[in-house]
Amino acid sequence: MMRILVGTEKGAYLLTESGSDWQVDGPMFPGWKVTAFGQTSGGARVAATGSNWFGVGVHHSENLLDWKPSDSPPTWPEGSDRKMEQIWTFHNEGDQLLAGVAQAGLFSSDDGGMSWVPVTSLNEHRTRDQWTPGAGGLCAHRILSGNGSMWVGISAVGVFRSDDKGVTWLPKNDGIPSVDTAEGGERPEVGYCVHGLAHDPDEPDHLWRQDHQGVFRSTDGGDTWERIEDGLPAGFGFVMWRHPGTGRLLTIPLESSENRVPVDGMLSAYASDDNGSSWRVAGSGWSDAPQFTGVLRRAFDGDGNGGFCFGTSGGKLWLTRDIGDTWHELNASFPRIAAVSIVT
Amino acid sequence: MSVTVRIPRVLSQAVTSGVRHQAEGENLAEVLENLFSREPGLENHLLDEDGRIRPHVLIFVDAARADLDTPVGPTSEIQVLQAVSGG
Repeated sequence: MMRILVGTEKGAYLLTESGSDWQVDGPMFPGWKVTAFGQTSGGARVAATGSNWFGVGVHHSENLLDWKPSDSPPTWPEGSDRKMEQIWTFHNEGDQLLAGVAQAGLFSSDDGGMSWVPVTSLNEHRTRDQWTPGAGGLCAHRILSGNGSMWVGISAVGVFRSDDKGVTWLPKNDGIPSVDTAEGGERPEVGYCVHGLAHDPDEPDHLWRQDHQGVFRSTDGGDTWERIEDGLPAGFGFVMWRHPGTGRLLTIPLESSENRVPVDGMLSAYASDDNGSSWRVAGSGWSDAPQFTGVLRRAFDGDGNGGFCFGTSGGKLWLTRDIGDTWHELNASFPRIAAVSIVT
Repeated sequence: MSVTVRIPRVLSQAVTSGVRHQAEGENLAEVLENLFSREPGLENHLLDEDGRIRPHVLIFVDAARADLDTPVGPTSEIQVLQAVSGG
């Protein structure tokens, strides 16, 4: 029985498979944006809420329906020049729960998300005075780890890697065009707008990246990147995901930075079975009707067993159970979907 | 001196019970500090990182917009307004 948590502009919803249909519970957190989901090392689910005026929140649940707020969500220290605008992502690293936030940086919790401390080694990086926001804000939105290394994606700053458990961080963006440097100009150390990031857990130095400037891969932990867009209708988009068993990659191209909808309104995921060397429409089931909508970077999730789900900015959910061979749209509509989590 | 503090329903997820609370203090800052001692989850939603009332959050004492220094009397009522936007 599949369950899906859906975080939207107006609350969260829990979808529970019920025969051939879905039971919808919610809205949970009415009046709040729900921006990220995660899981503690103890197994509790966490959800991040946000508001245009009341700040952010972190909530815990054992049953996905009853949520208890943390009294101390991530907060920038008094006197900081940064404001806590949104929690973008959670990531488990051993017993630590990490949160990527806007205005960017990283926070860490040793008590399952009840209290948080800033990760100053990254947050106060020597390049910090050069960090600038993208259209979605200045946000740390993706965290990956493996083989003792950790990667954090920050828009519009770039990918950082730490090889010493977060003590030091290095920008890893060689091969990526920067967002605002003229061709032939000197490459800045930061200023790269990563949108999505995936890796191979067995070979974590193999990375794939949906960037503002295109789709890229690295086989050296991010030291160098090469463009991989053969077969894609556009290089722009937000999603990059990898199925751990087959290595299949999935992304959802959007026309351009200026026009963030599928090319010609033909919404579909694209798949690669050769590590990104070539891409094709992922399977069948896509609508022939125009779908001028977007898919945001946290609105895609996989269950590790061939199930993938994504939500659109138009409030629709798409699901596959066979690693993207067949897709169908769920018969429900929601507010703008910011986050999706398949609960296994 | 205990006064009534009403919070908007949207903030009820941050407190242990309801939208009507009692708290003590001689001015708004003291009342909020007393309230936060029992409802710590509320502080982050009303005050910013520097301990100021968040921008766009309006708090009224006896129907007049207040700041943290506003005096609170024995019969005062404090209302945190629900912020709204379109769409």
